[in-house]
Amino acid sequence: MTKQDFRIVGKSVKRADVIEKVTGEGKYTGDYHLPGLLHGKIKRAEIAHARITRIDVSKALAYPGVKAVLTHHDVPKVLHYGSPHPRSASCTKDQYILEDKVRFWGEGVAAVAAVSEEIADEALDLIEVDYEPLPAVYDIDAAQAPGAPQIHEVGPGGNLVIPPVHIERGDVEKGFAEADLILEGEFEGGRPVPTYMEPNVCVADWDGSNKLTFWTSTQTSFMVRGALAEVLGLPLNKVRVLVDHMGGGFGAKQDLFQHEFLCALLARKCRRPVKMEFTRRETFIAGRSRHPFRMWLKQGFRKDGTLVARDMKVIYESGAYGSHSPGVTNVGTASATSLYRCENVRLDGRAVYTNTPIAGAYRGYGVVQTYFAIDIQMDEAAEKLGIDPAEMRLRNAVREGDIAPSGHPIVGRGLEACISHGIEAFGWQAKRGADRGVAGRPSVRRGWGIGCEMHGSSAYPGIKEQGNATVKMNEDGSVTLLTGAAGLGTGAHTALAQIVAEELGVTFESVHVVHGDTDVVPWDIGAFASHTTYLVGSAARMAAAELRERVLARGAEKLQEKVENLEMVDGIITARDKPGTSLTVHEAMGPSRGIPAEHLIASGSYMPTKSYSFAAHFVEVEVDTETGIIECRTVVPVHDVGKVIHPIAAQGQIEGGIQQGIGHTLTENYVIDRTNGRSLNAGLVDYKMPLSMDMPDIRTIILEAAPDPGGPWGAKGVGEDPIIAIGPAIANAVYDAIGVRFHHYPITPEDVLNGLRARKKELQDAGI
Amino acid sequence: MKKTLLDLTVNGESRSFAVEGHRSLLDALREEGGLTGTKKGCDVGDCGACTVIVNGQPVNACLMLAIEAQGAEITTVEGLQASPDELHPLQEAFMEHGASQCGFCTPGILIMAKCLLDENPLPTDEEIRFGLSGNICRCTGYTKIFDAIRSAGKRMAQQGVEA
Ligand code: FES
Ligand code: FES
Repeated sequence: MTKQDFRIVGKSVKRADVIEKVTGEGKYTGDYHLPGLLHGKIKRAEIAHARITRIDVSKALAYPGVKAVLTHHDVPKVLHYGSPHPRSASCTKDQYILEDKVRFWGEGVAAVAAVSEEIADEALDLIEVDYEPLPAVYDIDAAQAPGAPQIHEVGPGGNLVIPPVHIERGDVEKGFAEADLILEGEFEGGRPVPTYMEPNVCVADWDGSNKLTFWTSTQTSFMVRGALAEVLGLPLNKVRVLVDHMGGGFGAKQDLFQHEFLCALLARKCRRPVKMEFTRRETFIAGRSRHPFRMWLKQGFRKDGTLVARDMKVIYESGAYGSHSPGVTNVGTASATSLYRCENVRLDGRAVYTNTPIAGAYRGYGVVQTYFAIDIQMDEAAEKLGIDPAEMRLRNAVREGDIAPSGHPIVGRGLEACISHGIEAFGWQAKRGADRGVAGRPSVRRGWGIGCEMHGSSAYPGIKEQGNATVKMNEDGSVTLLTGAAGLGTGAHTALAQIVAEELGVTFESVHVVHGDTDVVPWDIGAFASHTTYLVGSAARMAAAELRERVLARGAEKLQEKVENLEMVDGIITARDKPGTSLTVHEAMGPSRGIPAEHLIASGSYMPTKSYSFAAHFVEVEVDTETGIIECRTVVPVHDVGKVIHPIAAQGQIEGGIQQGIGHTLTENYVIDRTNGRSLNAGLVDYKMPLSMDMPDIRTIILEAAPDPGGPWGAKGVGEDPIIAIGPAIANAVYDAIGVRFHHYPITPEDVLNGLRARKKELQDAGI
Repeated sequence: MKKTLLDLTVNGESRSFAVEGHRSLLDALREEGGLTGTKKGCDVGDCGACTVIVNGQPVNACLMLAIEAQGAEITTVEGLQASPDELHPLQEAFMEHGASQCGFCTPGILIMAKCLLDENPLPTDEEIRFGLSGNICRCTGYTKIFDAIRSAGKRMAQQGVEA
């Protein structure tokens, strides 16, 4: 199909779900109010590592308005996953709902249900807990030190979440022997949190048949269903998970959270519906962050810039539980086999437990960290070798046929296309030659930098994925698409409806999407890994294709024509060579042979491998050498996402990812006191994100350079890519501006000032 | 706990709710009023998701006690439309420009933008940025929100629509 042939795909149609968002009618989980609703709250530990020696809830229970209190004595003792992906090796069972042990400051130790939030809150203070403190570890070094206190009884020991991930290809020693330049460096990164605007919330309600109905703001409703059923000892058809609108997730709403179990249990105990809503503070303490990391990277280059060897050790800090650490460690480590082609790699990836809040899944999943280091060192090598940084990347970019981290050959030359296109669009050459000073602002220096990335659509091979979709045609010709994919705000349902309408040959408006009810929609693995359009989109297209055949067969019968001779466009079936011979889908669906309506329903199931999307980000920064403040002024992100289904939604993903990435690189860091494990900035004022005043001018460019045969019409993912490339691009631009290299994020004004001072001293000592 | 009867005009309609003294206007609107369009992103005045108009001024409803709003005229996102089948130009523009992704910030930002355009129908980019400095959006990077407000302002000025 050529470009012009698309009627719906590739157009920024109005998102059907957005009308409900702009009118305020859309229901988010917290908007549900049931008769007799109780409010649940969690008592959180004020100690980072301890054994509970006594817990007394009698005063709380006696408090007027309190309906139930749960402690570790009252809940099922089932060891469970934090990240409940089935069919995945990347899971660690290391959590109980409640235990007589605390592993991080802020961990829940008891839960209360009461007639109001205020009463529940007051009751928390009446719960008495005695702790026997245990020695604790608050960072990667302490956790790995010989004789360090062990946080878990399960796992390989040494505070490791999983055995180290080791990947070796080629001959690293031989590679280094052939290198003209060898660089070695250490890199690290802080603890950014996703900070979705909708705090985690759930509502649980049991009916007389002992069936649980559970509304929750989750990206993975079927995983929640599975985990709840397992822990509560119920068959899957006795747990119904519902999620309508979601106020963001960014990956982090795919854990099975402690409050979700507790909410269900409180509701069962009270025989009344219970709602549990995180405060903003709790989204920090009990939510999920990106993994803080430390990485050592050594690479060898030839004079012409060719990368010949890469040796890497990365350590991710998992916090108190494993959550997504197995996946993050595997994906992050494997990502370093690629981006820049290198035949000789030796990679070591680890995740370690510490007594800090839990790191989980977050957009960029372990890759943000490794590519930050790799792309900064690429810049250092370019400088040492006297090669332009963009040219350096072009020479090393992965391309068609190279082996991707998944083990599959790369399709197309997407990365090169992004870099080349960006060089032109950004005016790279001219800019890099320009003056770093800014007229009239003597303390300000400008700089320009580039960062690249690639990211898989789908979690294969870590998870064997499957996308499902069911499409029905009603007797009036209107279409219903049933999907389990969550709508966390990306516009995925619109993209799926576009795909169905395009393939089926009906108008976009005639497709209605039903989602978010595990009793109704086909099984879904969850919305993550940038895969919904790629994976569920393909399944939806398959289902629509089958349905189309069946509708056309009805049309053929009514028109007395051969099926092969018919086409269907915008809901009208026409005979190709007989312009007057046509009927609407409504007519085709009308009663036939005395049967009022046919059961016209088709399903598609798709098991993908993986495709990769690519991006190169070009940025301009201004650094004030007096205040140390870095301002990101302009970003030209160039992305290859294969076939674009909805341009505005794709751009929106890119721009939002850049916003978060700028934050991670410059200001965002959820800080834990390294002496006692307490949270120091669990709120929106002290945790500093880029807001309206801080956003740069973003000129998004989307290429359709390397469509992947695995996605609908070649479509690939876009959700995670933008957050990866922006970080190193900024760090490289800062170096370009002030000549100071930073190997960590966030790069704070204090760091800049210290760096400038150190550089000045260095230059003085060198007599320059 | 003792409840006070609160009389308000909400989106042009007289409403009375019995509320406890400590109840925030946000909770009163959402729970007693059933107007769940206004969102709670933080409950401590940091995010702007709860922005409503009280007597012509944008207010963080989580920071105002419901009883302080006694007798006030309040507009929430549900009151933006002139009629059920006619969207406000800001709502149209937000849809058209993709200014709403998850939509959790959207009601607050729409209300804030309405206040902005009511005062200043053709704001500069800097004025739009400044006007939204109390509203957190974590999904969009703001780019498309700025586009939408700019275009709604133009459309309203052209049509002489009262915002
Ligand atoms: S909920 Fe009121 S400002 Fe955040
Ligand atoms: S659209 Fe999600 S926070 Fe703004």
